[in-house]
Amino acid sequence: MTNQIALRVAGLVKHYGSVPAVDGISFEVPLASVFTLLGPNGAGKTTTLEILEGIREADSGELVLFGQPMTRVSRDAKQRMGVLLQDGGFEPHLQVREIIQLFASFFARSRSVDEILDLVALREKAKAQVRTLSGGQRQRMAVGVALVNDPDVVFLDEPTTGLDPQARRNMWDIISGLRSQGKTIILTTHYMEEAEALSDSVCIMDHGKIIAQGSPRDLTGRLGEETLIEFRVDETDGEAIGQLASCCDRLRHDGPLFTLETSDLQRTMTGLLRWSEAQSTRFHDLRVRQPNLEDVFLTMTGRTLRE
Amino acid sequence: MKDILTLARAHVLTAFRERETLFWFLIFPLFLLTILSLIFGRMSDGQDVHFSIALINDPSAASAAPFSPSAIIAEAFAALAAPTDSGHQPLFAIETPQAGQDRDGFLEEKLVELRRGQLAAVLVLPPDFDQRVMDTLDAGRGAPSAEAHLYMSATSVASETAASIIEQVLAEVDRSLLGRVGRFDESRAIAHVTGWVGERESEVDYVDFVLPGILLMAFFASGLFGVPGTILFNRDRKVLRRYWVTPLSVGRYLMGFGAGHLILCALQFTLIVALGKFAFGASISLFGPTTLLILILAVVTFLAFGFLIASLAKSANAGMATANILNMPMMFLSGMFFPITGLPSFMRVVVLANPVTYLLESLRQSVGVQSGTLMPWPWTFVVPVLWIGICTFAGVRRLRWDVQR
Repeated sequence: MTNQIALRVAGLVKHYGSVPAVDGISFEVPLASVFTLLGPNGAGKTTTLEILEGIREADSGELVLFGQPMTRVSRDAKQRMGVLLQDGGFEPHLQVREIIQLFASFFARSRSVDEILDLVALREKAKAQVRTLSGGQRQRMAVGVALVNDPDVVFLDEPTTGLDPQARRNMWDIISGLRSQGKTIILTTHYMEEAEALSDSVCIMDHGKIIAQGSPRDLTGRLGEETLIEFRVDETDGEAIGQLASCCDRLRHDGPLFTLETSDLQRTMTGLLRWSEAQSTRFHDLRVRQPNLEDVFLTMTGRTLRE
Repeated sequence: MKDILTLARAHVLTAFRERETLFWFLIFPLFLLTILSLIFGRMSDGQDVHFSIALINDPSAASAAPFSPSAIIAEAFAALAAPTDSGHQPLFAIETPQAGQDRDGFLEEKLVELRRGQLAAVLVLPPDFDQRVMDTLDAGRGAPSAEAHLYMSATSVASETAASIIEQVLAEVDRSLLGRVGRFDESRAIAHVTGWVGERESEVDYVDFVLPGILLMAFFASGLFGVPGTILFNRDRKVLRRYWVTPLSVGRYLMGFGAGHLILCALQFTLIVALGKFAFGASISLFGPTTLLILILAVVTFLAFGFLIASLAKSANAGMATANILNMPMMFLSGMFFPITGLPSFMRVVVLANPVTYLLESLRQSVGVQSGTLMPWPWTFVVPVLWIGICTFAGVRRLRWDVQR
């Protein structure tokens, strides 16, 4: 492996018609790390991942996988890859065990079916037909299928979209477990808390371009030493908002939701309480927090990840 | 090899667990065989049935008699060959020798056509037929009957049916002639002597005639409709997309799918043949090596057509529409439901390019319900094999794992 890099991408371009879906992006993914492509819907994350998985061919750009330069992902490379598609189905009348056996047969090397069933906690559902599984169980089975060949690199496209909080937490545990086994994981998500919790490095995409990349700590650190204070108020007028702005470095508000950025928490909190008393206003959902990747995206694009 | 076998197993398991697939694959052909055998058990209803026959008589001999029995017979058949008011085909198309044509040469030629299945029967009235009928009528009760020679194919149910109708026509004419001389007893002025063409090994029942066709139709339907249906529905449901990100190639996927399809068709074959034999008393054997080879060729041909449709269609609905478009000419221009002789020349091109034509004819011939072939024997294999090559090549080259964007 060249310099402990599992994957290197340089100048990757992909157009759909005249629309650039991926517009000259470059990044490197170190071995045994979790690398996350983060961005809103339509940012180009899935197209990037589909090129890396071999589903689509790039218009131009360089791709080096396991030290091998390639224009299109080869069958040999696929032997070492595990893929969880965002948009893929399973034959509904086959049992979980049969599905895993089927996919295992496509690879030269595979783990035992029972091992996979234990890994994704589906042993008790081994004989259940796919059509009877819940969304979370189906997603766990899809992860099991992606891991059936004991891959060196695992692509997970929006692995927790549509899952309930408990199922999402289970998926995080599986991903963390893979990382501790030394697997390289390339992940896409539009959940910033997921990217923060799981990633060693994050690449933030918007309109097909990379607008920031680094570790979650590096990226949030770029916003300085500021602290954020968030709260809701029932009603307020323009003059009152102006008074509030004077006790912080920066103020944003979206309807009744206010966010104050400050480098002097003591001063701002004191000013905020005085303002509340003067306005006879009650705070709801008051929260003091550090900046996160959502704030990074907001600062760089003026939009939230979910817009 | 492991991938192909596992895919085949998955295909078979899915077919058994999906009610719709199970119905079309197994229940429907059995149902069709049951219905056809019960309703048409003895194909005796002449309505809309059409037979080509040859009639050889000697008009020059008729002039000597006060009335001509052979002319009366010819008129009776001419009436059955006349166009109908309802627009249906007449019962018979009749071929007779041209004026001055050698009678023996014509008979020889027609017997060859009878052997090939191009004619259903040949009726010959000897040169002295009229005189002998008149002698019989004059001689009164107990005199020997005049003989007409009726040739039929020993290996064709259609020929048996046509011959039984001809016998009825002769009997009617006989009664009419006896009435002219005031005799209404049980004696006969006209008798017919049956001549067989081909080896007559056993009674050919309707179920024997229809069984090879049902088998072929079952394979045809599961190939043209079942194969693209399954592949394209799986593509629409994004199942194939999952295969795309594995090392599995399109070629190996199709091999695995095809192996599963062969297993299902073997099951279809077993059930249909068992029903035909045990429920309806079919006597033909479908286990001869040539018959089995033709049946396997048929399954693979229709499977390849299924691959072609799956590779061309953009969705499952488009695939079903394409299968329907191919279904009509392939089924109807093959001789499955009516004889293909006498079709316009442009349609004969389709008939000759149609693999079903060869598969059906060779299958019927191999089980002994039809004699003769349209084309030399190797063409039976060459035409379907050519189609298998073309369709499989196109299928492997063009099949897409994903819905086209």
